[in-house]
Amino acid sequence: MATVQVGEAEKVYIMHGVRDDLRVDGRGCEDYRHMEIETDVVSNTDGSAKVSLGQTDILVGIKAEIGKPKPMVPDEGYLEFFVDCSANATPEFEGRGGEELGVELSNNLYKVFNNKHSLDLRSLCICPGEHCWVLYVDVLLLQCDGNLFDAMSIAIKAALFNTRIPKVHISEDEEGGKEIELSDDPYDCMRLNVENVPCIVTLCKIGHRHVVDATLLEKACSVASLLISVTHKGTVTCVRKLGGGSLDPDSIFEMTETGKRVGKMVHAPLMELLQKEESLGRERTKVGFLA
Amino acid sequence: MPVDNKRVRGPEISQSPLLFLPPDSQISKVSSSSGRQGARGNGDIRPLFARCGLVSQAKGSAYLEAGNTKIICSVYGPRETERKDETDMKSGRLVCDFRLAPFSCPKRGAWIQNAEERDLSTALAESLQPGACLHRYPRAQVDVNVVVLENDGSALAHAVTCASMALADAGIEMYDTVLGCALRQDEERCLVDPDLAEERAESSAENQGRVVVALLPNLNQISGLQADGEMREDSLTAAVRTCVEGCHRLYPVVQQAILRAVKKKAAPPPEK
Repeated sequence: MATVQVGEAEKVYIMHGVRDDLRVDGRGCEDYRHMEIETDVVSNTDGSAKVSLGQTDILVGIKAEIGKPKPMVPDEGYLEFFVDCSANATPEFEGRGGEELGVELSNNLYKVFNNKHSLDLRSLCICPGEHCWVLYVDVLLLQCDGNLFDAMSIAIKAALFNTRIPKVHISEDEEGGKEIELSDDPYDCMRLNVENVPCIVTLCKIGHRHVVDATLLEKACSVASLLISVTHKGTVTCVRKLGGGSLDPDSIFEMTETGKRVGKMVHAPLMELLQKEESLGRERTKVGFLA
Repeated sequence: MPVDNKRVRGPEISQSPLLFLPPDSQISKVSSSSGRQGARGNGDIRPLFARCGLVSQAKGSAYLEAGNTKIICSVYGPRETERKDETDMKSGRLVCDFRLAPFSCPKRGAWIQNAEERDLSTALAESLQPGACLHRYPRAQVDVNVVVLENDGSALAHAVTCASMALADAGIEMYDTVLGCALRQDEERCLVDPDLAEERAESSAENQGRVVVALLPNLNQISGLQADGEMREDSLTAAVRTCVEGCHRLYPVVQQAILRAVKKKAAPPPEK
């Protein structure tokens, strides 16, 4: 994990600040940093989004491919997550250095989406037992400044919203062989319903309080954090304690409550923003990577 | 190479015959079964059998059985750390390796560790770390190897308990034992310590999920928490509380097993 060295005095300064609900960058304990979202940034993907949250930069590309459904669920498609910690973000990730973090992040993503209502996987089915859409969700960390989980989940939601899967037509010949025909009209495509896609809120325990959207500096002051993924209705789809410390049961309950409240508030503005961006259509000026 | 056309060749990828069961017998609903196996109440844990010190080569080891779930754990070390590039050398490292034996689940697994096992290894390490006094072992690492011999549900929870017993048996200094408890929520039903059928049962309910809690009983601290599925906040909170209670119920058995191992080790040499 990308870490920073923090001196004892600096730690005390940060912890006292958090105690008084004032963080180093002037935020309150439940405030996010400035966030920028842009969708449709990579033309070769079926859906993509770039999210920058403070100094954390994340790019998500989604590619849809036709695959074979899993034998246990023949009438559903599936998602594959892969998180790449590029050495661009920090030299620590060079070679196999980022692998451990990447596996941890992608495993948590599988957990977050491990339920029936997050995404309608049945809509990804083309022909039960034979063909289905496989969505490869590839996450690239371009810059790390803490709170990777939250930024990642928002980027994934935006990219899924942006995803357009071409419609397919199955034709059968006389011998019973099936053939898949892809619609060649680029506007004849299927959209995903992302309403129930959860967002992750990570809460860092600092002193006796917890903060949302911790920077790397703040993260270095905390021993344990709690990851909560929340849908727009307030349903919790995944909880996980991260880090080497332990937490008091009461503080866990407080943190889940805060997580649910904060998480619920993220969804409405996010959807509004995505819809607004889409309504601009082709006239939208693309910002790209040099924002 | 000549191809033998006479012989019927099997499929390239082998599959478990369980897949070809008629669909209605495959899905066992959690809610449809009124009672649990062995006349167990919803809040009851399975009877636990635990022993320390069965692997003589290891510094410490433990074996744990809960229903059909069987777990073996051995602890090696403290020894010099392999990775010297780590910045934090002031405290020791706890290296956990969680493995499901290939034959432990209904479907055969591979010998090499898959993503799920790696995820469970990290979860195990995160749960055990707060319990061990790692600052007492600078520049050292302690290896914890867990093998699930038979998986009949709640494997992670019992692995945590088993590993902390093995750590205690190895004489690693600890703040407290770490106890694990799992729970399966399905609508309003709370099944503590679920077996594999209960754990994996399909449920399309709006409020369902799996929770695993690791607890330091004397310090009353939660060292590990994992949940997935879809749960309302209030039922999640209730589930965590139920799990904490379940952990406390394990404590006497674990304590007794550790005590027994200590007495055995410290027994005076028989006098002639």
